[in-house]
Amino acid sequence: MRVSFQHIGNMWVGLKAVADRIGFDMVVPPITSQHTLSLGARYSPEMVCLPFKLTLGNMIESLELGADTLITIGQYGPCRFGYYHRVQEVILRDLGYEFELLKQSNGMLRMIKYFTHGASIREIFLAFRFGLAKLKALEEVERLVHRTRAIEQNKGSASQIFREAIQAIDGARDYRAIKQAKRVYLQKLKDIPTISSSNPLKIGVVGEFFVVVDPFANMDVEIELGKLGVQVERPQSVLEWLDFNPFTLLLGLREKDRSFKAAKPYLSRYIGGDGLQTVGEKVLHAKDWDGLVHIEPFGCLPEIMARNIMPSTKEQLPVLNLMFDEHTGRAGVINRLEAFVDMIKIKKKKSVELRV
Amino acid sequence: MMNIGIPRALLYYQYFPMWKTFFEELGGEVVISPPTTKAMIASGASRVVADTCLPVKVFLGHVISLIGKCDYIFIPTIRSLKSNIYNCSKFLGLPDMTKAVITECPPVLDVIIDINKGMRNIYRAIDKLGRYFTRDTSKVKSASLDAWQVHLNYRHLMSNHGLIPPQAMEGISSIDKADDTYVRTEMGINSGNPASTQTNIALIGHPYLLYDEYLNHRLIHRLEQAGIRVLTPEMLTSDELESASVKLAGTTYWTYGEEVVGAGEHYLQNGADGIIGILTFGCGPDSLMMEMVRRRANRLRTTPFMSLVLEEHTAETGIITRLEAFLDMINRRKRGGQ
Repeated sequence: MRVSFQHIGNMWVGLKAVADRIGFDMVVPPITSQHTLSLGARYSPEMVCLPFKLTLGNMIESLELGADTLITIGQYGPCRFGYYHRVQEVILRDLGYEFELLKQSNGMLRMIKYFTHGASIREIFLAFRFGLAKLKALEEVERLVHRTRAIEQNKGSASQIFREAIQAIDGARDYRAIKQAKRVYLQKLKDIPTISSSNPLKIGVVGEFFVVVDPFANMDVEIELGKLGVQVERPQSVLEWLDFNPFTLLLGLREKDRSFKAAKPYLSRYIGGDGLQTVGEKVLHAKDWDGLVHIEPFGCLPEIMARNIMPSTKEQLPVLNLMFDEHTGRAGVINRLEAFVDMIKIKKKKSVELRV
Repeated sequence: MMNIGIPRALLYYQYFPMWKTFFEELGGEVVISPPTTKAMIASGASRVVADTCLPVKVFLGHVISLIGKCDYIFIPTIRSLKSNIYNCSKFLGLPDMTKAVITECPPVLDVIIDINKGMRNIYRAIDKLGRYFTRDTSKVKSASLDAWQVHLNYRHLMSNHGLIPPQAMEGISSIDKADDTYVRTEMGINSGNPASTQTNIALIGHPYLLYDEYLNHRLIHRLEQAGIRVLTPEMLTSDELESASVKLAGTTYWTYGEEVVGAGEHYLQNGADGIIGILTFGCGPDSLMMEMVRRRANRLRTTPFMSLVLEEHTAETGIITRLEAFLDMINRRKRGGQ
């Protein structure tokens, strides 16, 4: 049995580690590319959202590589994401592929036991802990990358180091190697020559989870903002999504819970996807961010609701909305980001002058 | 006396008789917005971002038309009617969104129906709604029981007698109980065995698209003019819908998903000479569910299937042309088969 999955950001690093630890055969689909997108878009229904097209493309590519079992996230809820796999299965069968589809909704543990041929719970637990450790290390490096990109002298050096860091952490065989890799790359980032006396703008990137964490889907919004000298704040991450820490969970300390609370006066209930969090982040960070880039796939149900509600909040924060699908042009995205950042700079300058 | 405004959009077609009974028994007066017009869609669309779906824009247009005519506007949130089956995001955030984009909106009567929190939670929500009218809990209880009975009668009229919501609303207002003989004689509807020579076309989609004559350019009227018997999802019992739905796509995913998947599968297998799927541009659930029905129709190759996508810019001529072509094709098939 050759198991495969679909890409969401850098989650493959963690999943690959799990597979290595337990010792089952896993096909990592090629990193999402333009080819993946064209494959997915060709066979998708016309009005569906971008993550559907990308994950369908991943599925086709991994089936071509010889995978015969696909893991998907099948949940319930108001968002389309949980329904994807049913349509994708029909599409793939119509294309003539033979495979088995495993849904997370059937029970995560049962699913893992199935494709590992009965690994013990202890084994599975340890493997997942190892995978999570890798993701955690990766995220720590990424946070520093976000800060460094804004103030580096040679644009692009932090991104280069991040790419190397992904390789290194992916290659780590044990906890010590992960720690070692993390330390090395954090140091490398700190050593990057920076522009002195710079106080970069802080802009939050929030929106639909998949597009926010997947650099291909959002056309490297973070890198482009970094080039413009902006420090990116991104509350959503794969790790935050997988965060089961009972302490923070119970006390409601997670960013998600705090943003839900902040959104309450404007959107009083959960509407699926990340719409509630988007509204909440605007309210929550109106004071400490200079702007907010709201990104979503075209036609995203919860984010459309969020976009309708956001302008009515009392807390003011400039918002730029970007929508992505297979026809989005990179130049258009860059242009808009530049204009947005310029606007914020002018606004900031004016308010400083007024105070003087 | 309190005037309760009910927009003639979205869930109106499913639940209006029930809501009306409930409010009137509690001493309120119900004001319905007029049928959809072009101006209403324009006023609704001007308040929201462009890619919001058409039914929501229509809904907001109806809310705007009710401003100044009522003391409260009733916008319920149907979160979930069966365990772990949720409604689409647009429905879930509707009251909040209406308040955010229409600031001059009258106070909103908002009741959250969520079966996952238990029946007690629903009773409490209904009780809270009744508090706006009376402090007498037993009065609220009897009003809600009567309302529920009216709803069952309404469903019965549609599923067992083949009425469509506008006819059933008329029928239910003139009788107390769904009386079979009354329906047959007075309304001139012959349920049961249709003439075998008549062409049956099934329309699948949500009621707010099928029965809003302005939105779908009088589709039902046009089909009936052409001598065709129109079948709709409302004419099936909820059991029929559910079992067909499970057969095609597994457990239902969205609250009103059976209107598309269940009705599609049912009519593909029996009783229809052709199926027209009606959806709006940008509808998330339908974009996937209609695809399931379309692919099923492709594989079965027994019943022709056409989908019509509606939006603000849909031209009447385009609809007519496609409809004519579809009907020609079905007539040719029928003649060829005989």
